[in-house]
Amino acid sequence: MTAKLFRNSTAVAVSVMVLSIALFMGMLYQYFSDQLMGELETETWLVAQGVELNGMDYLTGLNTENRVTWVAQDGTVLYDSQADAGSMENHADREEIRQALTDESGTARRYSSTLAQQTLYAARRLNDGTVIRVASAQQTVVTLLLSMIQPILIILALALIISAVLASRMAKRIIRPIVNLDLEHPEDCDTYEELTPLLSRIKHQNDTIQQQVLQLQQKQQEFAALTENMSEGFLLMDRHGHVLSYNNGALRQLGAQAPQGEVNALVLNRSESFRQAVDEVLSGKRSQQMLHLNGRYCQLLANPVMQGEEQMGAVMVLLDVTEQEQREDLRREFTANVSHELKTPLTSISGIAEIMQSGMVKAEDVQGFAGDIYKEAQRLIALVEDIIRLSQLDEGAVNMEREDVDLYQLSLEVTKRLESAAQKHDVTIKTMGRSVQVHGIRRVLDEMIYNLCDNAIKYNRKGGTVAVTVGPVENGVEVSVEDNGIGIPAEDQSRVFERFYRVDKSHSKDISGTGLGLSIVKHGAALHDGQIQLKSTPGKGTTVTLLLPQA
Amino acid sequence: MRDRFNEQLEQLNVELIKMGALCEEAISAATKALLEGDAALRETAAAAEREIDQKERDIESLCMKLLLQQQPVARDLRTISAALKMISDMERIGDQASDIAEITRDIEDNPVISHVPLDEMARSTIGMVTDSIDSFVRKNLGLAQEVIRKDDEIDRMFLEVKDELIRRIGQGDSGETCMDLLMIAKYFERIGDHACNIAEWVEFSLTGQHGDL
Repeated sequence: MTAKLFRNSTAVAVSVMVLSIALFMGMLYQYFSDQLMGELETETWLVAQGVELNGMDYLTGLNTENRVTWVAQDGTVLYDSQADAGSMENHADREEIRQALTDESGTARRYSSTLAQQTLYAARRLNDGTVIRVASAQQTVVTLLLSMIQPILIILALALIISAVLASRMAKRIIRPIVNLDLEHPEDCDTYEELTPLLSRIKHQNDTIQQQVLQLQQKQQEFAALTENMSEGFLLMDRHGHVLSYNNGALRQLGAQAPQGEVNALVLNRSESFRQAVDEVLSGKRSQQMLHLNGRYCQLLANPVMQGEEQMGAVMVLLDVTEQEQREDLRREFTANVSHELKTPLTSISGIAEIMQSGMVKAEDVQGFAGDIYKEAQRLIALVEDIIRLSQLDEGAVNMEREDVDLYQLSLEVTKRLESAAQKHDVTIKTMGRSVQVHGIRRVLDEMIYNLCDNAIKYNRKGGTVAVTVGPVENGVEVSVEDNGIGIPAEDQSRVFERFYRVDKSHSKDISGTGLGLSIVKHGAALHDGQIQLKSTPGKGTTVTLLLPQA
Repeated sequence: MRDRFNEQLEQLNVELIKMGALCEEAISAATKALLEGDAALRETAAAAEREIDQKERDIESLCMKLLLQQQPVARDLRTISAALKMISDMERIGDQASDIAEITRDIEDNPVISHVPLDEMARSTIGMVTDSIDSFVRKNLGLAQEVIRKDDEIDRMFLEVKDELIRRIGQGDSGETCMDLLMIAKYFERIGDHACNIAEWVEFSLTGQHGDL
């Protein structure tokens, strides 16, 4: 800016100077030259008067700067103040002489390129016909200028210095308010009015920026709310594996602490499958891994982020699939169990039938074998019925007609039905308590109590007892089935309600059962908004308590 | 130039994390092979050990390159020298883990194992290794110092195991198995020492002070 201002002011100064010099030269040179000519003519007249009176003596005694020449009528030079008259050529053809000879006086200007000056001539004819000529040299414009070169240069230098000082001052004065502008509040600034358009534009821009910032913040908050509230983990990294963004879900699932500053993804977790996922995704491949961490399963989906051909980074999504995995395990176990349970009786039936087919069975034994086939077939039917009932409960397809049921009466009926079975196991069964009503499905409730009592008899020991207690409790009614049988080990207690789960893994035939009884109880309780409590000590006995809401 | 340097330092950091993770895998595989008798894990431990050796060589050459080409000073120099020391400790952990896995071959299904408090010792040792690597990964001085303190606990457990084994030999249990178990206990104790060393080098790289110096 300073340089520009300096150039401008210098240009102004110089051009003003050049113009004024040109003007003065053009106007004054002519004026001076006319003045000089007038003076020359006067001097010529004076010299002519002198020569008229005193002749040659006047000329020799004359003391003048100008050149005085006396020329005879024929043009021969009689006297010259600055040269030897004899050696000079004839002057008759000179313009001023010729004029003087004819008109009494004459003038002429001649330019001598060798001397770079102009000479003015004035001539006057004397009474005797001779001519006096006075010549004076006048410097040309160029020489005049050249003689003035020193002061001109000094003035020029002065002009440059003044321009420089002024330019820098001016620039400072222009710039200072701009530099000191308060960009946040441009309208409050004390400036000169030429800046007002700039200030209003800045204000406008400030408003726009503020709006955009607000929008961005809102977007970011929305994004943060979105990622923080999703249970899935989310991790974004650049192509070097630096973590750019993450949510709490990701930290939770990776078991990591919030990293300080920019860190590598491996700082969050360094288990083998995570390392592999990071390596694969950073080499541009999609990766899917299962992460087993602190007893939980985490599915890891990693995708490279591409921009054109170039990889910019990677996105990783972490899903907690612990429940799915557990359910998958259960399903696998269920399938294995169900096929096993179905196959066992069928194998027996098929085996017995094969023996009978081969004719190796004596006629009197046929009845016994047929009895075995019947027993196994009954077991198969019971199993299939249980499965059907369970799936009905699962799907809610069971006849849902609810009625008021007296649990005490129901328990009495159940224990009566089980009397013979109990006698077979040498177990006494009794029902205690008082009449309570629930609103429920009679068939399901019946089955629940039946299954509980059935288990209590089956998993009992010789001479044991089963006590069914029915009665109201604080917020509902309670049916508890207590036995003093073999009990359930602590590690199995949480699993006995699973389908086909048998504490006795050998699925022994000593105790008949499908492994579905407690599962049916559990589903039945859920259907009645009830709860089941299991208390058991191995070797001492088990108490299963059914809590149901009162009618 | 500096950018390149920082990139290499970062690479060193990542490689160390990977090597630490391999150590954890080796020792937990060896422990599982010992306590659960899972023979397949022996091979896992041996494979991890081979990979650890390879990593040690890689990291060593990376450190040399950094030292020679970048001539680091102050903190960076500390980081690199600590890294050089740490990888030898990690390599030893890998070796000893694979040694434990090796020994388990001979004492498979031996009931004596379940009567010796080796599982507690193994858990503590794995915890120490994990914590020492964690203290490096998170640059956590407090955690490193905790690991250093924990070393005495492992030493105490080793003595407990030793006493129990002496008692068992006295009772007439197989001397060979007991010796093998003593070796394993000693290996765990050594692994604890190496974890402690790693923690000391972490402390050194963070503070410039080394506990033993």
